[in-house]
Amino acid sequence: MKSSVGKNRNKWAAVCLAGMMALTVSACGKAGSDLNLVESQEGSRRVVNLFSPMEKTDPDAENTARSAADKTVVMAEEKLGVTVGYITYTAENYQDRTYDEVALDRARNDMDDIYLLNPDVIQALGEEGKLRDLSDLACAENLRDVVRTANTVDGKLVAIPQEVVAYGLFINKDLFDRYSLELPETPEEFLECCRVFQQNGIETPVGANRWWLETFVLAQAYADLYNGGNTEAEIAALNSGESKYSDYMRPGFEFLQEMIRCGYIDAEKAYVSEAIEGEGEDFLSQKTPIVMAYWGAANTETAYGKTDFNMLVIGFPSSRGQMPVMPMTGYGVGTGAEHGEDAMQVMDVILSDEALRIYAETNRVISPSRNVEVECVPALKPLSDRIQENVYVLGANAGMKMEQWGNICQVVRQLLGGATVDECMEEIDRLQQESLAK
Amino acid sequence: MRRIRKKNKGRADKGIPLLLSIIAVFCVLGTVVFSVSRKITREMSTAAIQNLSESLNLIQCTIETVLNKEAEFQKLMALEIARGEDPESAILAYQRNQTMVKLALIPAGETEGISSTGETFSGEELDFSSGWTVDGLEISDSYLNYMGTWAYSIRCPVVKEGEEIGTLYVEYTYDSLDRSLPNKFYNNSAMLYIMDARTERFVLKPKGMGERSAGHVNLEDYYRANDIREQEIRDEVEECVRNGKNFMFYHEIRGKSALNYMWAVNGGSVYLTGYVPIESIQQEGKTVNQNILFVVAVMLIAFFLCCVLYYFNQRQQNRIRIEREAERELHSKQLTEALQAAQLASNSKTMFLSNMSHDIRTPMNAVLGFTTLLDRDAENPDKVRAYTRKIMASGQHLLSLINDILDVSKIESGKVVLNLEEFTLNDLVSSVDAIVRPMAAARSQEFHVEVKDIKHECLIGDETRVNQILINLLSNAVKYTPEGGNIWFRIIGLKQRSSQFEHIRIEVEDDGYGMTQEYLKTIFDAFTRAENSTTNKVQGTGLGMAITKNIVELMGGTIEVSSEVDKGSCFRVDLEFRVPEGQADKLFWQKSGISRILVAGGLQDGKNICTLMEEMGIPVDVVSCAEEALGRIQDAPEGYAMALLDWDTSEPGDIRTVEKIRKALPQTALLLLMTAHGADGAEQGVESGALPGALPREEALKMANTGVLPKPFFVSALKEKVTELQSGAAGKREEPSGGEESSLEGLRFLAAEDNEINAEILTEILTLEGAECVVVENGKMALERFGDSAEGEFDAILMDVQMPVMNGYDATRAIRALERGDVATIPIIAMTANAFAEDEREALHAGMNVHLAKPIDMELLKKVLRQCIPERGSTAAERSQ
Repeated sequence: MKSSVGKNRNKWAAVCLAGMMALTVSACGKAGSDLNLVESQEGSRRVVNLFSPMEKTDPDAENTARSAADKTVVMAEEKLGVTVGYITYTAENYQDRTYDEVALDRARNDMDDIYLLNPDVIQALGEEGKLRDLSDLACAENLRDVVRTANTVDGKLVAIPQEVVAYGLFINKDLFDRYSLELPETPEEFLECCRVFQQNGIETPVGANRWWLETFVLAQAYADLYNGGNTEAEIAALNSGESKYSDYMRPGFEFLQEMIRCGYIDAEKAYVSEAIEGEGEDFLSQKTPIVMAYWGAANTETAYGKTDFNMLVIGFPSSRGQMPVMPMTGYGVGTGAEHGEDAMQVMDVILSDEALRIYAETNRVISPSRNVEVECVPALKPLSDRIQENVYVLGANAGMKMEQWGNICQVVRQLLGGATVDECMEEIDRLQQESLAK
Repeated sequence: MRRIRKKNKGRADKGIPLLLSIIAVFCVLGTVVFSVSRKITREMSTAAIQNLSESLNLIQCTIETVLNKEAEFQKLMALEIARGEDPESAILAYQRNQTMVKLALIPAGETEGISSTGETFSGEELDFSSGWTVDGLEISDSYLNYMGTWAYSIRCPVVKEGEEIGTLYVEYTYDSLDRSLPNKFYNNSAMLYIMDARTERFVLKPKGMGERSAGHVNLEDYYRANDIREQEIRDEVEECVRNGKNFMFYHEIRGKSALNYMWAVNGGSVYLTGYVPIESIQQEGKTVNQNILFVVAVMLIAFFLCCVLYYFNQRQQNRIRIEREAERELHSKQLTEALQAAQLASNSKTMFLSNMSHDIRTPMNAVLGFTTLLDRDAENPDKVRAYTRKIMASGQHLLSLINDILDVSKIESGKVVLNLEEFTLNDLVSSVDAIVRPMAAARSQEFHVEVKDIKHECLIGDETRVNQILINLLSNAVKYTPEGGNIWFRIIGLKQRSSQFEHIRIEVEDDGYGMTQEYLKTIFDAFTRAENSTTNKVQGTGLGMAITKNIVELMGGTIEVSSEVDKGSCFRVDLEFRVPEGQADKLFWQKSGISRILVAGGLQDGKNICTLMEEMGIPVDVVSCAEEALGRIQDAPEGYAMALLDWDTSEPGDIRTVEKIRKALPQTALLLLMTAHGADGAEQGVESGALPGALPREEALKMANTGVLPKPFFVSALKEKVTELQSGAAGKREEPSGGEESSLEGLRFLAAEDNEINAEILTEILTLEGAECVVVENGKMALERFGDSAEGEFDAILMDVQMPVMNGYDATRAIRALERGDVATIPIIAMTANAFAEDEREALHAGMNVHLAKPIDMELLKKVLRQCIPERGSTAAERSQ
């Protein structure tokens, strides 16, 4: 017994001594013998500048869309050995220059290499020849037709998106249920819902900002054009001047006018509100049952990705029922980009099927590649179903001579600013004439 | 036990201060480590703040240098334009670069001028109201220029020949500053913005400064995004910005503690704004603290290991201590028990001595009393004989007492060694029967002997000791059974555990007084004896059962007893005896021509015979009665060479059937009549006709080859009977020659005896028998006397063992070693009080012929002498004539 205790004690002592010796030896290790103590000498690393909007960060939330895009950029950096520098701009307020204006200036002055552009800017820059043709990129081969069509200007594919942006109405289904309201299909039904909400104490049933009210107009204007089976002929008539955009737009403007008149929209507030900033808080706090936003807003916590109520995303009311509006943003490469070739390579990586899959899976969006399909979040199901049925309206179409997304937005702002519907139609006619004159 | 508890408590009391000391040491150690850690953290933090300040100073100086150079260059440009003849052309000819993106000139006295982009320039869009200057030139607030990037303008008067001819506006982009700034700031973990002081708008986020996913528009957005809500901080920041001072404060950024800074550049026209996570600043401090913690952890682990080792060591020692204490306790207990046992033994022995005193004095009193009477009535021969018989009985009892005492002493001292030799159960049962039956008969008791299922009769064991067991048990049974009672002696063969051993159960049962349950518990203890009104008249030492149990256990057996008062007792002894090899004496049966046996009568007897003869290979047929036996024999007259008939169960009329059987059997075939009353008893019974069912002797025994076989019997008895009948000696009895048997007439003995009385007794007895005896006092004298004697002078030497000068053994050896013709043949008979088997063995080993224990049994002495010196008897007679 005694001897076994003694043996155990010796074993423990040996283990402790060995451990101490190991520590001592490791502490005596030599750091290195090089005389030059500089750890790394980075050479001139290739840089590609990316100009994109930066949503204002939130201390308690993750910007899923930004994270998704960042993953694809990191992939490009690792694959190509380049550094992608982020150049951002965000308007401080409505008096500031808009992101689109700044993007136009920067692209026109070749300030950056890659630009994330809204459809009106894509069309404008495309027509000015300030964007490179991306048709030869490998990633372009897998694009869905609708994406290719929307981003082709003068026969050149000038932009490719990472997601097919679809706009819809974000509704508080709990409030609809509380007042026994069916989801509205037509403008009349929508107005009725607003009336009921207002009657029940919700003074402003629709939260709006200065950017996205045009979606109501576009949905009503082009529901038949894009879903009536005569799309090309109608667009040709518009491009030739035989048809007037104002004829298409009037119902939508009158609808908005009615909304403003009834107080369903706070025009003054909307006129100075940035996207989501103005109306988001009221929507999340369930003061406002209806807002409009893009697909990705349903996934990201900085927008409406985390609500305390049952949220659904549906299409805008139109004569053909709920109608998604798809404006198609996209990445373009400046013609005079300082690092043009590297930028093209970065584009090929961040828009590849592999990258788009990562993006789509992270952000749960519709991918522009026909090879990438992901399941959307439940809230987006109604909107997704309509898109799957090929029922939607393009918010921007480079095939139309008159740029839609930016111009209609501007005219809607005029309506918000107090202009009449007729004045707005005159402005649209002027814009059509201007575009036809180019 | 209480002392142990007290000790344990004492140790526990000692353990608490030790524990408190350890805790105190740990507290001190922890405090020191904490203080050192805090100090290091503080110092490292101070160093980090200093380091950050230096970095920001560097960036500040860089930007200010760029601004100053821009201003200097602009002054030069203004000089050049002033020297030129067409300033407007010079402006228009300017090609923008990355730093100066636009030039404009407004002639003096005018509100508009021309810009390098060819547009009219009024300067109204520029705000110089803040009053900031660079190298003496006014610098505008920041604005978003035509290129969509943040810019500022510096205006410089164009002076020609002392007269200001216009103002030169040059537009610079903040992007150009980015090229002068480092690519990394705290390994990309720090955030850095350049903020316009008046508008608090972030106008540049240099590449590599901070996380890409985070973006801020202005200071308010920075506060919001980073959750900086403390109004005190905001006010302080505002105050510092207003006064162009630097400000640094701690605040969490996205859950991580960070050092936020507002660092004035160019006197406060722009600010370096951002944060550095504390963990990035205090990376070294964190590493140092981690190392300290690691060292402390290692020390703690080492300390705990030591504690564990100490604990196990203590536990081990405690265990050993407890074991020792338990051992001591056990020893103490054993000592107590031993003391108690010794006291008990002492008490028992005291009681024993008391009993012995009584038991010895009683026969001694008888001896002395009757001796007195003998002296008085010496003239009355009848009385003399009666007194002599009683003296003899008392002496015998006294002798048995002494034997038992000595036996116990021997057994308890462990000196008993079993003398293993071959013996037969037949002899054992016969000798026991011979002793016990008369004792039982004297008390009118029925003594029943039963043997069954014994496979081997011849066994190896200590016959003497087995005999002692049986005599003890049976004599007790006789003693403690009232007159007219029954005693059963059974020997039963049990199932063999091994073919080499016979497993035997011996049962001694009686229907006597029985014993109480209390007494049964102590029956095998020495010096105990059942004492009650019924049995206290029984003489005994109280040692018999103890001796019996000890012998049984010495033989590896067991003994148990069951008893009930007034109903009797039953002792069961289980023993195993080795079976000697080659015992099956098949040759005898072949020679005697007996190949098949017929048994008629008791089934148990038949079964026993079957079992006994199984090993011999002799088939045994068993029938229930003589009639049936006759039928069998008539069916196969030549089949049976021997028939056994149960005499005890036969009817008087069966004699005719026996005759028929005799006739039916071949002439040479043997007919044996089995009886439980022994040959003598049977014959006596036959003669007297007293036994029920007994057959007339004459008629039975006059038949040829017919004899009586006492039950129970073994193969050896059967063989003996067969030999007897076949040799024609049946029915003949040896008539002892009384004259030869009793006379030692003419013999001459040399006796070595140191005790004068014993010598005298011996001399007188031998003289009475007509012999002559020469007595010497010790072995040496015996040796000398024998050596001096003529050859044939002595017929035998009677040798005591314990003698002075030379003992009997040595003397015998010496005599046997003499060089004489008769030393080898002269009988030397040990006559000693050393009465144990070992003593006998030693005597024989020394060269003696026979060992006789004192007191001398004259009949036995004569028998022994007759056996040792048969022919010398005649020689002596002749010599005496």
